[in-house]
Formats: sequence, structure tokens, C-alpha cells
Amino acid sequence: MTAFHDEVQELRKLYPEGTRSAVLPALRLAQERHGWLSREAIEEVAGALELTPAYCYSVASFYDMFRLEPVGRHTIEVCTNVCCGLVNAQAVLEAFERELGVRPGETTSDGEVTLRAVECLGGCSTPTLVAVDRRYRQSVTPDDVPAILAELRA
Amino acid sequence: MSTPELVRVTIDEREVHVPKGTGLVETALAAGVEIPVFCYEPRLGPPVGACRMCLVEVEGMPKLQAGCTLTAQDGMVVKTARTSTQAAEGQDATLEFILVNHPLDCPVCDKGGECPLQDLTFRYGPGKTRMSFEKLTFEKPIPISPTIALDRERCILCYRCTRFSETVSEDGQLIAANRGAMSVITTFEDLPYTGAFTGNVTELCPVGALLPTQYRFEARPWEIVDVPTVCGLCPVGCNVYATVREGKVKRILSRNHPEIDEGWICDKGRFAFTHLRADDRLAQPLRRVHRRGLEQISWEDALDEAERLLRNARGRIVTALSGSETVEQAYALGKLMRVGLDSHQAMLPEEVSGALDAYRLPLSAIREAEVVVVLGEVPVVERAPVVDLWIRAARRNGARILDEADEEAIGGAARVVLLWSGPGGRGGETVAQVAEKLGLADRDGCGAFYLPETPNGRGAADAWAACCDEESAESASIGLLVVSGDEAAANENVRALAEQAEAVIVLSMFHGLAAGWADLILPGTSYLERDGTFVNLEGRLQRLRRTATPPCPDELEWLAELAARFGVDLAPYAAGVFAEVSQRVYGGLAFGEVGERAPLRGYPEASEHIARTPLPRAAQKPRRGEIRLVAYKPLFSGAAVERVAELQFQRPQPELELSAEDARRKRITPGDMVTVGANGSAITLPARVNRRLRPGIARVGLEHASGLGGIVEIAKAAEVLA
Amino acid sequence: MSETTVRVAEGPALVLAGYEGEPLRSLDAYRAVGGYAQLEKARAEDPQAVIQQVIESNLRGRGGAFFPTGRKASFIPTPDKIAKPIYITVNADESEPGTFKDREIMLKVPHRLVEGCLIAAHAIQSRHVYIYIRGEYLEEYESLQGAVDEAREAGILGGVEIVIHRGAGAYICGEETALLESLEGKRGQPRSKPPFPAISGVYASPTLINNVESITTVPAVLAVGPEEYATIGAPPDSTGTRLFCLSGNVARPGVYEAPHGITARHLIYDIGGGVPGAHTLKAVMMGGSSFPVMTPDDLETPLDADSLGKKGYFIGSGVVTVIDERTCMVQFALRVAQFYMHESCGKCTPCRVGTRWLVQLMRAVEDGTATEHDLELTLDVCDRIIGKCLCVLGDSAAMPVASCVTKFRDEFREHLAHGGCPFGEDSQLAGLFAPTDQHAHTPMAAEALA
Ligand SMILES: Cc1cc2nc3c(=O)[nH]c(=O)nc-3n(C[C@H](O)[C@H](O)[C@H](O)COP(=O)(O)O)c2cc1C
Ligand code: SF4
Ligand code: FES
Repeated sequence: MTAFHDEVQELRKLYPEGTRSAVLPALRLAQERHGWLSREAIEEVAGALELTPAYCYSVASFYDMFRLEPVGRHTIEVCTNVCCGLVNAQAVLEAFERELGVRPGETTSDGEVTLRAVECLGGCSTPTLVAVDRRYRQSVTPDDVPAILAELRA
Repeated sequence: MSTPELVRVTIDEREVHVPKGTGLVETALAAGVEIPVFCYEPRLGPPVGACRMCLVEVEGMPKLQAGCTLTAQDGMVVKTARTSTQAAEGQDATLEFILVNHPLDCPVCDKGGECPLQDLTFRYGPGKTRMSFEKLTFEKPIPISPTIALDRERCILCYRCTRFSETVSEDGQLIAANRGAMSVITTFEDLPYTGAFTGNVTELCPVGALLPTQYRFEARPWEIVDVPTVCGLCPVGCNVYATVREGKVKRILSRNHPEIDEGWICDKGRFAFTHLRADDRLAQPLRRVHRRGLEQISWEDALDEAERLLRNARGRIVTALSGSETVEQAYALGKLMRVGLDSHQAMLPEEVSGALDAYRLPLSAIREAEVVVVLGEVPVVERAPVVDLWIRAARRNGARILDEADEEAIGGAARVVLLWSGPGGRGGETVAQVAEKLGLADRDGCGAFYLPETPNGRGAADAWAACCDEESAESASIGLLVVSGDEAAANENVRALAEQAEAVIVLSMFHGLAAGWADLILPGTSYLERDGTFVNLEGRLQRLRRTATPPCPDELEWLAELAARFGVDLAPYAAGVFAEVSQRVYGGLAFGEVGERAPLRGYPEASEHIARTPLPRAAQKPRRGEIRLVAYKPLFSGAAVERVAELQFQRPQPELELSAEDARRKRITPGDMVTVGANGSAITLPARVNRRLRPGIARVGLEHASGLGGIVEIAKAAEVLA
Repeated sequence: MSETTVRVAEGPALVLAGYEGEPLRSLDAYRAVGGYAQLEKARAEDPQAVIQQVIESNLRGRGGAFFPTGRKASFIPTPDKIAKPIYITVNADESEPGTFKDREIMLKVPHRLVEGCLIAAHAIQSRHVYIYIRGEYLEEYESLQGAVDEAREAGILGGVEIVIHRGAGAYICGEETALLESLEGKRGQPRSKPPFPAISGVYASPTLINNVESITTVPAVLAVGPEEYATIGAPPDSTGTRLFCLSGNVARPGVYEAPHGITARHLIYDIGGGVPGAHTLKAVMMGGSSFPVMTPDDLETPLDADSLGKKGYFIGSGVVTVIDERTCMVQFALRVAQFYMHESCGKCTPCRVGTRWLVQLMRAVEDGTATEHDLELTLDVCDRIIGKCLCVLGDSAAMPVASCVTKFRDEFREHLAHGGCPFGEDSQLAGLFAPTDQHAHTPMAAEALA
């Protein structure tokens, strides 16, 4: 059996036998490996958990963090909920759009960076909150954008 | 069981007394009050309270409540939309929201006229919509399988279909994807929704979102009648309606018999009916003319020819039954052959026995069992589909499902049910012996079932046995072989007999089956075209109705005419024949009393009449390391299914099922090509590993077995070549 | 890129006790400020006695519903009454816009949360704790996991297993029954109650569900003693301190621990330094985005459940987001509606359909294509959502939108008269983007994405 299969069995041990609780952890694991949840990735998860691919897809498609289309090597996620919005999240998002030449939800043509706008990330007192490859950056302003991207591409 | 305590509930000022815990929807009905529902469907498990159509006011509760999620408590006071403005507003609100995205295409919707949403809108709905923005739009309709089309714009997301797939058939294929307003019903990667029971979602859907493709634009509700009858395609005998328009069957619907099917039917029973209109369906008799093959002849000539062949073979006629004849047909045929022509020899595709009559239970008792033992190597779903659902229900109820009658494991369980599904069952004798060993006789909730291959083998055998008391020795030669029905015509042993017979008459629906070897072919009718009775695997006598007009005369009519020529008196209609059978087998029960939803009666007289055909030797047990190949008849196979284009995707892949242990032992992994051989002949198939299969057993669909069976050699194809 | 301000603004230091700017992440650091002393004390006592103390303190849920924490624990059957395991699930899904306190607890005093879990476990005699943390919280997860591992190695868990279960991005999974579904590996769709989690929660077993702050407050309750705790804040109902989440157009945003009952004005102006620049306060997102917005004339209202309740407000999760005069309230209502449409789980009809309808209505008003009648219709749609849904998310979408339409009616009318937004590009929320890509994996016309 594959290493992935074995890791999933480990995850299952955290929960009572016969439950499906390992579905989210297993999907996350698969996404960390492949970057996104392709058909094959979901089938792999289903196989390891003895569930149908349809079931795993049904769960995956419910949650924002699971990507069901290919994504770039890096992700930039800008909070555009009201708290950040009140302190100029829109300008930050636009700065990223300008620098990357993509709209929210799109990936740069070189497949490097996917830009996303997301709902409140829980950093409301340090707007604008931006998650760079899932790591939070607080109080991001439009001026910080070039530096952030330079760092990524470095 | 203790009788549940009664509680008093007031609904719209009316008092009712119901058992504590009764669903509020049912309680209201008892008070003559309808609480409208969409997502509520008790057969799908606990209520989910999703659609919010059932909002009611409950005294002492601040907010409106989803009535479907409540149960009757003593002193409960409930007001529905009829007496509570608050509840009425709630109901309007839900209905308006449901209609916000619902297209106004009722005139072209197959559900129109029999649509709960349409009815409720008509009764309570807003006159005009206040939603002036774009509705949600989707590609439509999209096939989720060749038999079912999905219209996502009509879908109101009650989640009935996905709950069926998740918790009743447990196939986990039909799912909800995405979230919120974007939620949709779908399958994974748009793969076809495959399985024995998929069609049930088309009946569960309360709107026109999931519809059978076969019924698309076929009829309008005011042009049709739903005729109550019984499915004749397997020994379960699910109760169904045939939707008929202008003498043609357009659709098969379930007709909930709570003891047999609980309103679920399999896709074969639902979708195979179009074989009635198969291209090679016979309407005219055919006679073999030397060197010129078959020629069409009139019924008069056909009966003269039949009479001639019968006379020539008096006393030397063998009849091959299919087990799909009605009790009346088998009796009429038997009386003609035995009383009229002194030919008592008949064969059935399988052995029949009355041994289980002491262990009779309704199928629904399986759900209440603590232990269910499934013996035999053929998957239950392939032989008696709906029984598989009862077993799943039992498992969900906490029952233990075993694959051997291990007294240890069965332990002190109070309610034990045995099933035999596969070869070696000897018509129920084998499992009856196990039941006896476990002392299940006359124990409440205990019983045993045998899953035969034929839908009415028991009924046919009883009728044949009952029609005459004389017996005679087997004659040396076969003067005439009379093959009754398509299952018999397709059976190898019957073909073999035909070789020996001097002449052969075949009763068949289709040209294809007997064209090669029959001297006279008489067109037959289908179970949907006959009046009469069937006996299902519970031993339950049920009533079939003639739902559609066949292209040929009814068997009973011309059998009566033919019988008369041999001085045998036969009624040309089912009621008359049944009256005769009933005197001898069914305790004089009147035809009219058989019942729309037949009860499970015992027929003590029946078993004595059973024809005791010689027992085939029990399949030998594979010794250590040996593998026995079980070639089974898949659910989606046979003369009818082969003639239904929409069902071809359901037919089993050519593949060999192996137990995990044997696969490991032979270093075979899923997908490997493996060669299966026995005394000379061999087949090569891809392997599938089935963790639930017992070691020493390999399984393959009959149509892919090319005659192999018994102990076989199995190896990777590569290695055989090498 | 500045850190979040986290400090005790006034009153006793309870949740943040011992935190002086240096995160108390290590066991030693936490022990140095008296960490795990309350656990020892509790374990020496009879479980019922511990529950009794929490009841006496009248600690109430910090997750939004403000339900008495002690009483909830008392609903859990004792092991002798039920043959099933008993579970604790800690709600760390923190996704309510404007809320960012639980996160700081997990970053600054993670061991206090662990201690709270273990005291609760002792009180209801549970051996299984699941902490459901929102998937986006990565550093928070690492910090908390570190604390749990440290506690395990130090043998503090005492046979209790604490598993941190990470969500995957769904606001609804903060709703307690949706959380349970998600924890069971399903789509996070709320269950209809009854049965209540206390009787049949996760894995159909008795389950106690509490917010991170509620659980973290428990050690503090035992530390000062229930009688003392019950005198802090605004007794009898809003006792103790809470972590207020101050954000928006305010000079010193941050997480401030302060007693219930301080006024909104005091929090915003004295503690938060008021509205920056020459700007004036226009509205307050009070309690979270799920509730009616507060208008300036109510700034004197003490921040406790009763005082707020009397004026039709909610304390929610302690959110106070300041909105100044440069903000178009139609854009605000639109963006809030968009959030709830995006987060609706899609299970029940009024929410799934109503939230999208509200978005379309608000957009029409913002674009100036709506009519006076549409304002009435909006209020009616809100009315038809409120109290009719399976869970409270529907209400949470309708209440703020309705409050904007009623309280800022003139501004909404201006849009209609003006044929568009009178603020033009000058509103702070102008053109604010709302994510929609996540749940559109199915072929459909573009306009379906409202
Ligand atoms: C839509 C919705 C989202 C919620 N989100 C959260 C959340 O993120 N964190 C939380 O603690 N409670 C949340 N709640 C409240 C929980 O349902 C529950 O009341 C709370 O966790 C109970 O804990 P407490 O009594 O300690 O407050 C939410 C409720 C709803 C209806
Ligand atoms: S109110 Fe919204 S979130 Fe709650 S159950 Fe209904 S659809 Fe789901
Ligand atoms: S019928 Fe009650 S909520 Fe759907």
C-alpha cells in the first residue's frame, strides 16, 4: 500500500472506529501533496477511507479551502470582508491584481501565483489581512504588495 | 413488545390520541389535518427539517417549528396554517422562496399534474412572483444515467434523492455538491448513477427534477391509468403500478407493500418493461418448413399443428417450465398434458421445495432481526434485489450480518433470520435444515428464506402437481418437448433435451430465442399482459393484472381451446382456472380474495403436491487451496434486459471476483488479467478483489463464464502464457 | 506589519491574567503565572461541585448565544446514567466578521485554554476533547498543538485525550450542530434540534460544546472564586470580563479585556482613541456582522446583554467595529448580505434562497435601479427569513440588512432618487470585492453568481 494510504490510516486512529472523521484531514493531506484535489486525488482519499469518491467530493466541495481546480505554486488570499474593507482592502486587492495581472480566483499564466479574495480571516484589528501561502500578514497596505511578491518569487 | 402509551394531542382544535412518539405529520393526518411537506420522508431515516414547508405553531414554543421534526407528546397543542396566521405566513414564505428559482415550465414538465409542488402552489401559493431578478440557471436537463435525467433548475434541494443514495441503497453515488445557493445534486465527475435501485429517486423527487428518460414526453396525467399489479421479474414480487396509456405500458411505479418492498423497487422491475415492444417480439405463430426455415402461420393453423404434434407424442411429451408462468398457466398446461395426454413429466430450471413452509416470515421481519445469516455465494442483490435493502436496514438497526450459521456467533440472539442465496440451496431444503438445527421453528421473529432464480417456480410447481393425481413411469424417448417461456428456452439443459426430442413446441415472446431449433413457435405474453397469480419467495400468493394488451392471444384462451380437442375441460380465463387450483392448493380461496396487498397466508396443502425432481449433487466444497468458480445470473441479464437499450450500462463488466486471500496467495492485484481454466477450456478476464468474498470462492457473471463452473485453476494470464 | 494589540484595558485580568506582552506559550511561562493550579484544585473536588461553581459564577457563553455555561454542563448525563463516551468539543471556528479574540487566546495563553478543557473534562467526567479550529488558523493551530503536546509530555492530561481538529473554511461550522457534522467528516450542515448535543452530539453521544473564551474563562472563575466572579461586570446576568474585539475606523483597534458594562463610547473613545482624523462615527457593527447595527445615539449603552437587549442589540462575540461617515450603508448591507449568501450551507430553503435574493435587492439599491417598493420588499424578505430557518444563520443575514434599511432609510432613498450611490467612489467600501469562486464548480450561467 502507498505511503499516503498509511498516513491516512494514522489519521483515522485519532477518531473512534467506524466514523468518517478523518475525511477532512485526509483531504487536506491530499491537497498538500498535489496542490489541489484532482479526480485522482479524491479517488485516492476515497480508497484510503473506504468511502465513495462521490462522498469525498461532496464534502470537499462544501469547504472553501479545498481547491477543485488547479492552482499556482503560491496562493495570495486577501480578506475583503467589511472590517478590512473599511481600511482599504479593496486597494490592496487591486494592487495584487495589478502586479500579477490576474483577477481574483485566477492564476498567473506562469502558474506561479493564484490570487483569491476571501471572507473574514479573523485579523480585523490589523487590516488588511493577507494570507501568503496560508501564513497571515497583518496590516498589509498597497505599498507592501511588491515586496510580498518579490519575496515569493525569490 | 409492550403496547405504546397513548398521548393526547390537539391539532387545529381537534383532539387525537396516538402512540407517544408518533410523527407530528402522521398525528395531524389522524386528526384529518394535512401538514404539507417536501423533504419529510420517514423511509429515508430521521427527519432533516430542510425545506421548512411544514412550519407549524406549537403552544409554548416561541418560534415556528418544523412539524416534520416533532413527535407527539401528551398535551401538545399544535396550530397549522389552517388556524394560525403565523404558521400560514411561514408556509407562504417557504413556498415563495421555493418558487423564486423554480422555472415556470409546468406545461412541458412530465411531473405536471402529479407534482406536489404544483399542487401546494395551487392551494396556498402566491398569485404572482415578487422576484424580479435573474433566477439561478443551469444546463438542463442533464442525464445522470441513461435512465434518469436531472433538471437542476426545477430542483428544490429537499435532499430526498441524496439521502436515499446515502442511507437506503447505501451506494453513496448521488450527492449534493457545493454550498449555499450554489448547491447542486450530482454524481462524481458526471459518472452515470449506477446500481440496482437508482430509479427510486425519480419517485422520491417531489418535483420534476429527477425524471425517468423513458417517460419523457410520453403521457399527460389525464391520459393515463395506474394499474395495480405485481412485478414478475424476480421472486420478490414487488407490488407495482403499471402506468398505462392507450393499452401501452409507459412507466412502472412502486406500490408500497410494507411487508415486501416498502415502496422500493429495483431498476430491472422499473425500466425493463420496454421489452414488451422489442423488435423481435412475436405476434404470429411460426412453423418450421423444411429447408425454408420458419414461416408465419395463422393461429388456426398453429393450433391444428400443435394438436397434430401432441397427438403423435401422447404419453411421450416432456414439458419444460420457466417458473415465470402464472399459477393458472402452469395448471392449464399441466392439465392438458397430464389429464389430456397422459404426459406427466415436467422440469423446472431449479429445484422447488416446501421445506421452508415451517419458517415463513414477511420480508420486513429481516429489518427487525438481531442476527441475519446470509448463506450461499450469489450476491443477494443479484437474485432478489429488494431483499438486499432489508438486510441493509437490519444492519443500520444494529443487526449482525453473518455469512455462516455459526452457533457461537448467533449466541443468545432472540430474532434470527437465515437466507440462502446461491447454488446448493435445493429449493430451500438446505437452509431449512440449518434452521431446524438452530431450533428456529415457531420462534417469534425467527425464520428462513430461500432466494430462487425463478419468479414463480413454487406456484408453477404446485399447480403442475395439483392438476392430476396420476403418475406414470418416464418414457424412454421424448416424442415432443414443450418449452414454456423464455427462461426455459434460454436454458442449456432444455436445449440439450431438444436435441433428443423428435419435435419441439416453444412458447416464447421473442423470435430470437427458439428460431434455430423449434418446429412450432407460439407467441407468448409478458407478466404485464396477464391476469393471474404468482407465489413469491415468502410463499405469498399475489395477484397479477393484465395491464397492457398483448400482440397475441392470451395463453389461457388457446390452451382451453386445445384442451377441449383432447376432451379436457379448462376455463379460458384466470379466475376460472384459479378456482380449480385453489380447491386443491389454496384452501378454496376465491380469486377476488387474493388481495391488492396480499397478506402472507400459509398453504398446508401445497407442499404435498410439490413435484420431487431428482436432487442435483450439492456443490463440492473446495479443499484447502482449491478455488470453486460460482457463475451467477446477474440481476441485469436475461431475455428482457437484453432488449432494453437504456439498461445496457447496468450490465456487469466481464470480470472475475476473487477473495482478498486468494488474490494475495496468487499475487493477483485488481485489474490483472487472469485465466480461469477447468478440464481443457479456459477464459481470461480482468480480476476484481472483493474483501467480503470467502476464500476458496471466485465469482463471475454467467454470461462471461462460458460454461465454466466448479473447481477451477486460476492464474495470472501472463504466467499461463509464460 | 504590526501585531494585534492585546491587553487588559481595565478591571481584573482574568482571561489574559499574567500576559504582559510576551506570549505565555511554554508550560514554564504559564506555570510561572500560576498556570494549572486551578486544574489541580478542581481535580481534588467532586465533579458536580466544579459545575456548581461555574453555575454560581453565572459565566455565560462567549460564542454568541450567551447561554449559561454551568447550566449547559449540568445537562450532560453522568457516566453512570449512560453507556456511551462523553465528549467535549471546543468551538475555535471563530469566523464571525469582526471577531478575532479566540485567536489571540490560542496565540498568547494557549495553556489556559488547555487547562480550561481539562477542568471541563473533569467536571463532566469526559476523557475526549476535540478542539475544532478553523482551517485558516495555522499559527494558532501550531501554538495550541504545542501547548497540548507539552501538557501531554508533562503528564498533565491525566488520561484525557485532546485532539485538535482543523476545519477547512466554512463559517457555518461555527454553528454547534454544523460543527458536529463537520467533525464527523460530513458537509457542515446544521442538524435539527432536538436532540440537543448534550444528549446526542458527536457520534450520537453526549457532547458539551463551548467557545474558546468561555472555556478559557473557567480557570479564572475558579481562581477568583464564583462569588467574586459573579460581582464583576454587570451582574446578575452579564458577569465577569470579556475580550472585546475593537476594529474598523478607530485609532487603537485591538483585543481588550474589560468588564461587561463599560459603555460603547468608553470602549471606542477612551480605550480605542476614537475615530481617527476629522471623521465622525456613523454606525457600529455591534456584536458581530450578524446583528443590527448600532447608531451613534446609542453609544452610551453599557456593553452587557440586558442593556443592549433593551435597545434591540446583541453582545454577540464582543465585536465593536467602528464605521465612520465615509461609508455607504447600502454597500455595507450589500457586503454583509454577500457574506451570508456565500456562507449559507444550503440546507434550508429560506436561508439558501433568501440570502441570494437580499444580495440582488441590495445591489439593485446600490445601482439605483431599485424602487421604494423594493425597500419594503427587502424588509418583508428579511421578515420571511427570520425565525423560519433551521439554524440562526438566516436570521444573522436578515437582521443587519433590515437594520440598515430601517435606520438609514434616507440614505437608501437617496440611492433611488440619485439613480445610484451618492458617495460615488468616495465610500470606503466602494466596489469591495466579494468572493464567489469557491462554490461554482458546476456549469451555470454567470449571472447565477449573483
Ligand atoms: C452561523 C453561526 C456561526 C457561529 N460561529 C461560532 C464561532 O465561530 N465560534 C463560537 O464559539 N460560536 C459560534 N456560534 C455559536 C455556537 O453555535 C454555539 O452557541 C457556541 O459555540 C456555544 O458556546 P458558548 O456557549 O461557550 O458560547 C455560531 C452560531 C451560528 C448560528
Ligand atoms: S439557516 Fe442557512 S446555514 Fe442554517 S441550516 Fe438553513 S441554510 Fe444552512
Ligand atoms: S417537510 Fe419539514 S422541513 Fe421539509
